[in-house]
Amino acid sequence: MTGFLLRRVLLAVPTLLGVTVVVFATVALVPGDPLTAFLGPGAPPEARQELSERLGLERPLPVRYLGWLAHALHGDLGVSISAQRPVQELLGSALGQTLLLTGAAFLLVLTGGVLLGALGAVRPDRLPGKVCGALSTLAVSAPQYSVALLLIAVFAVRLRWLPAGGTHDVFGSGGPADLLRHLVLPAVAAALVPLGLTAKVFRAALAAVLAGELADSLRARGLSRAAVLRHCVHNASPALLTIGGLQLAYLLEGVVFVETLFAWPGIGRLLFDALSARDLPLVQGGVLLVAVAFVGINLLVDAAHAAVDPRVRG
Amino acid sequence: MKPTLRQDPVLLLSLGAALLLLLVTLAAPLAAPYDPAAGSLDARLLDPGAADHLLGTDGQGRDLLSRLIWAARASLVGGLVPVLLATVLGTLLGITAGLGGRITEQALLRSLDVLYAFPGVLLAIAVATLLRPGLGATVLALSVVLTPAVARVGFTEVRRIRTAEYLEAARVSGAGAFELAVRQVLPVVAPVVLVYASSLVGLAVVYAAGLSFLGLGVAPPTAEWGAMLDELRPALLTHPWVAVQPAVVILLVSVLFNTLGERLRRRLGDSGAQLPAVAR
Repeated sequence: MTGFLLRRVLLAVPTLLGVTVVVFATVALVPGDPLTAFLGPGAPPEARQELSERLGLERPLPVRYLGWLAHALHGDLGVSISAQRPVQELLGSALGQTLLLTGAAFLLVLTGGVLLGALGAVRPDRLPGKVCGALSTLAVSAPQYSVALLLIAVFAVRLRWLPAGGTHDVFGSGGPADLLRHLVLPAVAAALVPLGLTAKVFRAALAAVLAGELADSLRARGLSRAAVLRHCVHNASPALLTIGGLQLAYLLEGVVFVETLFAWPGIGRLLFDALSARDLPLVQGGVLLVAVAFVGINLLVDAAHAAVDPRVRG
Repeated sequence: MKPTLRQDPVLLLSLGAALLLLLVTLAAPLAAPYDPAAGSLDARLLDPGAADHLLGTDGQGRDLLSRLIWAARASLVGGLVPVLLATVLGTLLGITAGLGGRITEQALLRSLDVLYAFPGVLLAIAVATLLRPGLGATVLALSVVLTPAVARVGFTEVRRIRTAEYLEAARVSGAGAFELAVRQVLPVVAPVVLVYASSLVGLAVVYAAGLSFLGLGVAPPTAEWGAMLDELRPALLTHPWVAVQPAVVILLVSVLFNTLGERLRRRLGDSGAQLPAVAR
């Protein structure tokens, strides 16, 4: 187990380095004058001079990359053009909101995905099974921004059941209940694609177990249908782990759209605003943070998978 | 036994719908009732079902149905062309990695892993910020996102067959590397890659519209579904049924292409269990 983990961590190092190269390149290769790109037009000459020295624009690219990497490793991601504050500060204050939203969405993904997948696997050829299959395809195909807009139109504007955006009512008492009301729609919008994906994978895994020897022997021992199903669900659940990283990828990329449309003050909304303002340091920092988090999550998923299923340690 | 085409009504239906979509898109000048760019100050933000405008009008009084029809051109190009480019490039890279020896294989696979480490939209954003907003940026960014996935499918297929006896026989009888790749390997790899690529179209259309929504792809006043999403957003709270229309169209097209891809894959006997991540 230790050997597997060590190998896996070592494999992640070149990937992470590659990620930093790509992120660095997105700003280093941006066409036109990088100083204007960073400071915006009309910056005073002193500021241009200072930034030019700070970025070391006269030095060759590899040297600049190493300097940037050293700063990034120390948690220094530069200064946002639009907010005139350190990028890491902005990202740090938005991170909690994104974690809250993705956490809530992840709960929906797991419960909804397992339910939909299990229902589809039990009676694949009957109507309920087919409906579940079609629903999974629909969920997988539903772009987060489409779902977000439809949810707002129906549940916030027409029915007025839930708020259309933000995290708290302006004139409300606040508190957890208020936050929860604001969390429902964005969490559903972010969850739908990974939920459908989970349902599909779990359905395939459970169907395989239900058709296998384990299910046969349980049935032969006279267990009830429900008991057989319970054992088989347990046996099929490691399949959920194998796609865990993928689900989180969809959650993470979905937040750019979902947070923007629901005015949810997280990383995704920050990234959207940074893109609109062409605030390159902030875009760079946001992309780097999400990509590094994603590599880390995949590592954790692999470790968890190895912990429950010795076969993958190989 | 695979069902015949006739026994798969869903496949037939989605093929028909895709054909219809293609026809309407190509015939946009005939199919659209109004000029998509011509607005009218007297007819701003009409709700669907208005007298002269079936789907209503946008904030500048432009007919929404006409704009949605014209927008299909840029939106479908933004979805289809990257899939085509990624298919060609990915096949090339996959075969090169599969036949090129250990060092080439590792170098290519590791580089692809780096691109793989980004969630798709994030990578597309990173690439598109380098470029001037437009259809070209969308196409290039999405090609970069999709190519690693196609290359993996291609590579997996080459690895499966590269020790096969008929390849050995071809090698012994003096076939060069290029001849081997084109005449022996490509015919085996191509069908698998093509079926896989067909399942990427829905995703690519969704991504392309997403980039325009973020202001990185096609920019107004050109009609494009994602750009329309952004244009109509201010009307969401007052005219929700106007604002959601591009969202609904993108959703329907995505469901259509995904269903089509799924059915094609099922017919051509691929379980789809081992397909890599960008695809769903």
